[in-house]
Amino acid sequence: MNVLRMFAVQTRMNFLWYFRRDGEMMFWTLAMPVFFLVLFSFAFSQGPSGRSATFLVPGIIGAQVLSSGFWGVGVMLATFREKHLLRRVYLTPMPRWIFFASLVAYRVTLLAVQAIILVTVGSLLFHVRITGNPVAVLIVLLLGTATFVSLGTIIGALAKTTESANNIASILTVPLAFISDAYIPIDRFPHAVSSALRLLPSTQFIDMFRGVSVDGASLASYGVWFAVLVAWTIFGTVVSARTFRWV
Amino acid sequence: MSENQASAGPAIVVERLVKRYGDVEAVAGLSFSVPRGAIFGLLGRNGAGKTTTLECCIGLSKPTSGSVRILGLDPTSARDFAALRSRIGVQLQSTSLPEKAAVGEVLELYAAYYGITPRAAEMASRVGLEGKLDRQIVQMSGGEQQRLALALALQHDPEVVFLDEPTAGMDAFGRRILWAEVEALRAAGKTIILTTHYIEEAERLCDTLCVVQRGRIIAEDTPENLVTRYGGDATVCITADGFSPDDALRGLGTWAKAKDEWQLVTHGEPGLALAAVVTHANAISATVRSLDMHRPTLEDAFIAVTGETIGEGE
Repeated sequence: MNVLRMFAVQTRMNFLWYFRRDGEMMFWTLAMPVFFLVLFSFAFSQGPSGRSATFLVPGIIGAQVLSSGFWGVGVMLATFREKHLLRRVYLTPMPRWIFFASLVAYRVTLLAVQAIILVTVGSLLFHVRITGNPVAVLIVLLLGTATFVSLGTIIGALAKTTESANNIASILTVPLAFISDAYIPIDRFPHAVSSALRLLPSTQFIDMFRGVSVDGASLASYGVWFAVLVAWTIFGTVVSARTFRWV
Repeated sequence: MSENQASAGPAIVVERLVKRYGDVEAVAGLSFSVPRGAIFGLLGRNGAGKTTTLECCIGLSKPTSGSVRILGLDPTSARDFAALRSRIGVQLQSTSLPEKAAVGEVLELYAAYYGITPRAAEMASRVGLEGKLDRQIVQMSGGEQQRLALALALQHDPEVVFLDEPTAGMDAFGRRILWAEVEALRAAGKTIILTTHYIEEAERLCDTLCVVQRGRIIAEDTPENLVTRYGGDATVCITADGFSPDDALRGLGTWAKAKDEWQLVTHGEPGLALAAVVTHANAISATVRSLDMHRPTLEDAFIAVTGETIGEGE
């Protein structure tokens, strides 16, 4: 009971506090992906095109999952440590996982709102249809979030300052969004390059997400990549747990 | 160690504690013990190693060597630390809370952390923040934030309370609140360890004081005993026309004359010496121009022990 109450209160406070803090940024957080969707849909196809939007909607949602893990969790944790917020929390009897679970709950909710907006805009403007099994879509989205939150936590664990965490997150997020099949189809690159890029967990996640959400693929057909992402998640969690510093 | 043995021993035992940061030895072999129910102070300049010592006690800093036991538990052991966290209350010097958090929300969240019934309004009024439950951290003065940090340290009724420079940045109102809370904790039989570089605060609050300098304890006693042992002699100074001490007055201590002023350094009770000096001056009809008595203070003792004033530190 106590643990549930801790989680509920912590999550509610995350929403209250970070929403107040991110108030002005919230518009951009929600509007920027829509802007990308509209811009790239036109840019790739000389006019509104259902095909490129169908490619972009899951791609942009996937890129948001990446940045949510690296920026939203990784950089945020480094900031919390630098501002001495973590050490105060560390002294309370709250179980450690509750702190992370409520941070993830906040991020997942924001991602869900972003995804709903993107799908709505995509379907109204470009007739994008999410045809996949909703349960499979949700499972892939949650797995991807778990993977990139756990990897992002490593940034938060290893970066000594907010500034260095920021730098690491920028170096990872921006290029990854462009080489992971999120905005640009990597099949346009030479075969050797696109094969190599498909070894990245970000590419595997985004391709799998696109496959099950708009291409009508079954989750089972991505069994290997699914297992690889689970392995990345375990790796990220173990390394984070070993290296995370509260002080 | 069994639960019973653990609860019978001292609240805090620190033995040969050393904490090194690279080449800098912040704490250089420091030992002390705090009985349950005592109010224990670490007095010293900024940078003397007080905060580091406290951080080692609450598990925020890992000792380079030496040992710390709080309520018989070792804060460097994960299992002991988990058991300890709900039994201690901590007000840190560099407390930081999310900028956009409101007073009432923070108190509610911390009540959830400790599994206690929220009593935000009551705690807020105890620390002089009544009617400010909606005030956000970013809108509060440093002193108000310190008082909220005090409320967070006390809300769950801990057995041992750690206060790191609790009145730094507080105004007179804040200091009165803190002092009243410390008295209430004393009455409730709680153990308190606090660091301070304010002589008055140390003297007023603490049963036992450790003077800390360069990571070492260089004196430990009650405030009164520190003054008696290290404060030196009292002085009485008088300037009076035609005054000179007679044999009876010379028996009270050592006299010296500088310009027109006579100074008596006495080991005895300065109040009695003062009375005798005035009586003699009147008896010889010497008109008293100025008269001054100085009883040794804790500050004198501090200066005598450390060879420096407490100042604002380095």
